[in-house]
Amino acid sequence: MARWTGDRAGSGLRLAAFGVVVFLYFPLALIILYAFNTQSALFTFPPPGLTTRWFEVALSNPSLWAALRLSVTVATIATVIALVIGSLLAAAVYRTRFFGREAISFVVLLPIALPGIVTGIALRSSFAIAGVPFSTWTLAVAHATFCIVIVYNNVVARFRRMSPNITEASADLGATGWQTFRHVVLPNLATALLAGGILAFALSFDEVVVTTFTAGNQQTVPIWIFERLFRPRQRPVTNVAAILVIVLTFVPVLIAQLLTREERQTGS
Amino acid sequence: MQMTARRRGPAARISGFFHRHPWSKLTLLLLPGLLWLGVIYLGSLVSMLIYGFWSQEEFTGLIARDFTLGTYGKLLEPAHRDIIIRTFVMAAAVSVACAVLAFPLAYYMARYATSRMKTVLYLVVIMPLWSSYLVRALAWRQILTNEGIMNWGLERLGLEGVVRAILQTPIIGGPSVIQSYFALFIAFVYLWLPFMILPVEAALERVPRSYLEASSDLGARPWFTFRRIVLPLAKPGLIAGSIFTFSLTLGDFILPSIFGQSQLFLGQEVFQQVGVIGNTPLAAAFTLVAMIIMVGYLLVSRRTGAFETL
Amino acid sequence: MKKLSRWLVAFSTLALIAAGCGGDEGEDGDGTAVPTDPDEARVTEVGDGEGEVSIISWAGYIERGDTDPAFDWVTQFEADTGCAVTNKTANTSDEMVALMQEGGGQYDLVTASGDASLRLIESGTVQPVNVDLIESYDLVDPNLTDAPWHTVDTDDDGTGEHYGVPYQWGYNVLMYNDAIFQGEAPTSWNVVFEETTLPDGESNQGRVQAYDGAIYIADAAVYLRAHNPELGITDPYALNRDQFDAALDLLRQQRELVGRYWHDAFVQIDDFGNGEAVASSSWPFQRNVLAAENPDFKSSTPEEGVTGWADTTMMHTDAPHPNCAYMWMEWSLNEKLQGDLAAWFGTVPANLAACEGNELLTDEGCATNGLGDFDQIEFWRTPQADCFDDDEATECVPYLEWVTQYVAVIGGR
Repeated sequence: MARWTGDRAGSGLRLAAFGVVVFLYFPLALIILYAFNTQSALFTFPPPGLTTRWFEVALSNPSLWAALRLSVTVATIATVIALVIGSLLAAAVYRTRFFGREAISFVVLLPIALPGIVTGIALRSSFAIAGVPFSTWTLAVAHATFCIVIVYNNVVARFRRMSPNITEASADLGATGWQTFRHVVLPNLATALLAGGILAFALSFDEVVVTTFTAGNQQTVPIWIFERLFRPRQRPVTNVAAILVIVLTFVPVLIAQLLTREERQTGS
Repeated sequence: MQMTARRRGPAARISGFFHRHPWSKLTLLLLPGLLWLGVIYLGSLVSMLIYGFWSQEEFTGLIARDFTLGTYGKLLEPAHRDIIIRTFVMAAAVSVACAVLAFPLAYYMARYATSRMKTVLYLVVIMPLWSSYLVRALAWRQILTNEGIMNWGLERLGLEGVVRAILQTPIIGGPSVIQSYFALFIAFVYLWLPFMILPVEAALERVPRSYLEASSDLGARPWFTFRRIVLPLAKPGLIAGSIFTFSLTLGDFILPSIFGQSQLFLGQEVFQQVGVIGNTPLAAAFTLVAMIIMVGYLLVSRRTGAFETL
Repeated sequence: MKKLSRWLVAFSTLALIAAGCGGDEGEDGDGTAVPTDPDEARVTEVGDGEGEVSIISWAGYIERGDTDPAFDWVTQFEADTGCAVTNKTANTSDEMVALMQEGGGQYDLVTASGDASLRLIESGTVQPVNVDLIESYDLVDPNLTDAPWHTVDTDDDGTGEHYGVPYQWGYNVLMYNDAIFQGEAPTSWNVVFEETTLPDGESNQGRVQAYDGAIYIADAAVYLRAHNPELGITDPYALNRDQFDAALDLLRQQRELVGRYWHDAFVQIDDFGNGEAVASSSWPFQRNVLAAENPDFKSSTPEEGVTGWADTTMMHTDAPHPNCAYMWMEWSLNEKLQGDLAAWFGTVPANLAACEGNELLTDEGCATNGLGDFDQIEFWRTPQADCFDDDEATECVPYLEWVTQYVAVIGGR
């Protein structure tokens, strides 16, 4: 396992690594900069002036709030479904060998490994065939499908770290299966579930491809941004919306990373 | 120790039952997941396959639900073949570029970063992913436009000639930066880079230091060690990352409408067929192509152990 | 691996079987809107509002002051009727048709142009409108009241049924950047169809745009009608095979010149504003928005002729909010709305009373936007195989082929 033993990387490597980080972040810096731009339609560089009025415009726009509410609702429902199903599947798969076990790991991965249009149009086709009209629930169902794998991966990794002896010991001491689950297994899983849930929530929040195909008339935040992406006279508003999304997802993602730090360090 | 007799409540009876019949417990655990993935997801894929066997009526545009192979046959038309090839080549190019760019940072993170630095770097890599893909795409448009920061910077450095030269190159170039494959390529690489960095980093973490030490003890130069030891061991991570970059590029329909010269990519074609023309059968046929490419890739990469790094 | 392939085979077989059995009629409840008998005007009286109404429209047609506070004709409607308006913008007629048909009972109204309206009527997606319930219908321009793209005799009783309420009409202009043209306004479509050197000394290669809807083939036909009279083109929407192929050749030639095909009005505004494009067929809407920021952006009406669109507000057969829909249709003919919209979009109102006394439009507005040119404009209609006539000998290329061929041209074939 690679662990820091005190030697330093060559300057070439450090420069290259730093360069990649800069590459990743300078467009983000520009996004934030232009959210304060006084220009409303065309963006030139450098921006002629700075203002905070776009924040006011964005925050007083009722459709943005409606989109936020919908995004949060859909993400929450999808996360809950993903948590339940993902952990059940992980529990089934991690220890027992059975026919199709490999296949399950494969199929769970599919929604996220296949292009979004595949999932999007596939779900759309089946909603059409089944006669289900588009609604918040169809959206949540679509999102849950690709969120399952995130929870699943996290929980499987955690199960693998858990010693099987604990559950045996618990049973030996006279606890029923349910008691073992509640008092032994669940606390161990808690942080993995939390991390998986947070990541799933963030993934659902920013998803646009599958949403376009399964949303009908509703707007989640990415769809809202999509519709307004090029509107003149209101351009910086999309930048403000992006900053909102960054802020809303930063803290949860930070927490998720801290919670799963140990798994990554032991390379499980 | 003497076990005290306990009242056998219903919870205890149920868990006792499961203990004696582990398969029923397994079934119960699996059932919701199987139902969901099997019925909703796989069932959807099947229904999409079904749609491909139907066709669209000429004048009204409604779907005729009669079995036909004609819709799948349409994929072989030259214009449609172009779309598939164009998308495939772009996806491959983007994956390679992402791999090259990801490596330095991933290697640094895996080998040289302190534990705290690593957490920070993880966040650094992940944060862009959660900050609205759409706005990041638009940011590149603002950077690459004639009045954007790239031109501003190049003018200061006197390097406009470089850009003009790139624009003259046959396939990659175009009338302006935004209207070229080059801009599209850069945007794709930028957006999917974090997806490549993470699996590669995870794979590199598993490279035992002892291997590297042994290699240098035996007198190998760093580049040789890199080529013969690190790179092969990083392969699962590279493949895992390329699964994402490939599939994301294959299905994208937003970026090609912002950059480039209106040459259609697979995602756009699907989007257009569904949203504009209402020809869901043809859209389903195209989607199946994307699906076949990816499933094939997944099956091949399963053997290389790439899934451990996902 | 073997297990997986066994499952794949199983699924594929299932799929084939299901597809074969899938031919059922009566597709109610499958999400696609195929109503049963749309020939009767459903609504006989307008009751209380249902609280909302959803409208599919062109960008800029339903404004609530978001883009420019002076242009808002939605908030008052919402205040008066209590019907909250949700608006879904579409960029081509094809999108509108697709949205209405796949809407699954989500959308009430659509502002359909002539190339979408007949498709919607034929497929039973829209219902006849009871014009007695629309008070302002008498104020509609007589040119439009019984126009063939929305008044169709579907039940063969000798009188046509009205399938919508006229909204606005206008035509596609040649928009250009005068900073490049330096005062020499382009008078012919050749600046977008043929390679020329523009007044700024550079070629037009890569600096022009074209509309990415298949109906644009008609614009090519209009150009050929003037320059290649031997082809015998009379109606640009009724093209026989030779005329159609000639138009496609012209468009392939144009492909080399086009920097990007514009799909979204706002993206085109962005492209012109950034100097990526300097000339293109466009809607007066883009010209108005750009000109407000920079007077260099102008438009002209080329001598070969122009194509245009006459939009009708139509109602979905399964509209979930019929009362609010009727209230909106009545409101859509409101004088102030019609005048404001005409000023905003650069169109001509359906209610001619709006031409006078409107601040934003001014009294010359209607004439500027083309009021007197109604008869010269080739309005969008959906090409049909029968060439719109009863002559069995003539055969024209139908619309679906327009779409597939145009997509191929854009793709470079």
